[in-house]
Amino acid sequence: MSGYAEGIIILLCINAIAAMGVSLLTGFTGIFSLGHAAYMALGAYTSAILTVQHGVHFFPAILLGGVVAVALAYFIGVPTLRLMGDYYAIASIGLGEAIRLILENWQSVTRGARGYPGIDPYTSLPIAVGFFVILAIFMFNLINSRFGRACKACRDDYIASSLLGFNTARIRVVSLMISAFYCGVAGALLGGFLSFIQPVMFDMLKSTELTAVVVFGGLGSMSGCILGTAVITLVTELFRPISQYRMLIYGAVLVIIMVLRPEGIMGNRELLSWIKDPFGRRS
Amino acid sequence: MTRVGGDRLPSSIRERGDPYLATLIQQIINGLSLGSVYALIAVGYSLVYSVLLFSNFAHGGFLVIGGYICYAALRTFNIGIWMAGALSLVGAGAAAILTERLAYRPIRERTNVTLYLLIASMGMSIVIENIFVIVAGGRFRALPPVIPTTPVNFFGLATTSAFDLLSLVSAVVFLGALQLFLSKTRWGLAIRAAAYDLRTAGLMGVNVNRLISIVFFVAGALAAVGGIFLSVRYTLYPQLGAITIKAFVAAVIGGLGSLPGAVVGSLILGLAEMLTAGFISSQMRDLVVFSLLVVTLLVKPTGLFGKSVSEKV
Repeated sequence: MSGYAEGIIILLCINAIAAMGVSLLTGFTGIFSLGHAAYMALGAYTSAILTVQHGVHFFPAILLGGVVAVALAYFIGVPTLRLMGDYYAIASIGLGEAIRLILENWQSVTRGARGYPGIDPYTSLPIAVGFFVILAIFMFNLINSRFGRACKACRDDYIASSLLGFNTARIRVVSLMISAFYCGVAGALLGGFLSFIQPVMFDMLKSTELTAVVVFGGLGSMSGCILGTAVITLVTELFRPISQYRMLIYGAVLVIIMVLRPEGIMGNRELLSWIKDPFGRRS
Repeated sequence: MTRVGGDRLPSSIRERGDPYLATLIQQIINGLSLGSVYALIAVGYSLVYSVLLFSNFAHGGFLVIGGYICYAALRTFNIGIWMAGALSLVGAGAAAILTERLAYRPIRERTNVTLYLLIASMGMSIVIENIFVIVAGGRFRALPPVIPTTPVNFFGLATTSAFDLLSLVSAVVFLGALQLFLSKTRWGLAIRAAAYDLRTAGLMGVNVNRLISIVFFVAGALAAVGGIFLSVRYTLYPQLGAITIKAFVAAVIGGLGSLPGAVVGSLILGLAEMLTAGFISSQMRDLVVFSLLVVTLLVKPTGLFGKSVSEKV
């Protein structure tokens, strides 16, 4: 396989891992985020610093990257997710900006805005695919578990679900923590793939892209979000020559999807159920 | 967030008296001035939130539209700042109505899921920003010197710029006008009713679509005022709208959907930012903004004047 194709597949796996995380939060729990790049940044920097400066093996470093992101998610989720409304969305924008500023200004640890070079390129094709497959299996089981159904209940009607005895605030926070773990791992893998990371890579545009991919694929469909990632990642590669108009098209597509087909490509159905029963009732 | 130029540093504080006190007074004036501009933006955003219950992330776009219209009017038609300002207010208001018609109304009519509106508004903010990147280019533009920035001596204690005082005064005027509009007119009454319950207001015979158009026009016009002052302060560029994040944060600190809250939150934020810039470090100010947000959410999550948002079950 050529290096270019291999690179695209690795990138696809990384993007899909992050998108699955955002999909759990936005698609299944109904919480909108505009700062998930911050969790990716934390994962990337944690893993980079651990492997380069402390000689930790990359595997625990990647997992620790995810764990640090989870810790931040807990800290930020507990005050904001108890409230209904757009509190988390706004806090997440602020969070994304603050994390980026800290990374840019904390010269002694992160080497500032010029970026962190010399990361061992540990994300090979098998590693990326391996992480993707394991995390995907876990996620597909999670959304059909008791917890996954509780998330959907919180999304659809939080009053009814709390009447049924679900602790909605806690479910929302746990959902955010799992989603932060996925993004942290994705960030750590990205660092290992590019072997160079920079705070500006994790700006608000990246956060927007993560959410947009999930919306495009279908809110409430895990296979849809993977499909959406594949489409967007490949289209981004195709659109490289006309990058000037890329963002305009991208924004317009987002609006048009919301106006014409807010449920995205897949709606809330999964690929498998669609193949088995193409005209069946909506699950 | 890109920041160009920075705010004018204390220029003549060393002249006489206690330099520490002079800096303090100067930064308080700067802070109130910046805060009042945030207030113009935050109030419009809060107004939309109070009626439609979603965060309009395209609000920053209205600000940029206002700024560019003012710039174009001043540069090409060579008219005075009053005409250019009026044009920019009307233009941004019209753009806001158009945004609502194109992107939000079709969604609003079909579903009451505010998440879709939120995502559409994010898309619109990207669209507006990139239209200006393509049409006007990503360059930084300075408005012609229409707003005086001559230094004004403040009772011999501190020297400040006429611009800061002007932006403070105009913000007070516009916010006062908004308050009069909301409390004295029939449409103001309707908007207050809609903020309480949009559906019931509709059942009482309020033309909901027209009401929402009016709300968006007001929000867009106020954002344009903020946009003109911000583009004098920081120069004009397509990503200027990103500054709206500060106004969102201010609205949350004051309590989402509450107009007095938005004003108070904005003033607190402006003061905090300028005092940080004056006494600690200019780079820390965005961090201070975010810390204020987190502290508010931890201590009093509904903000200073917010309604309780968690329903009792």
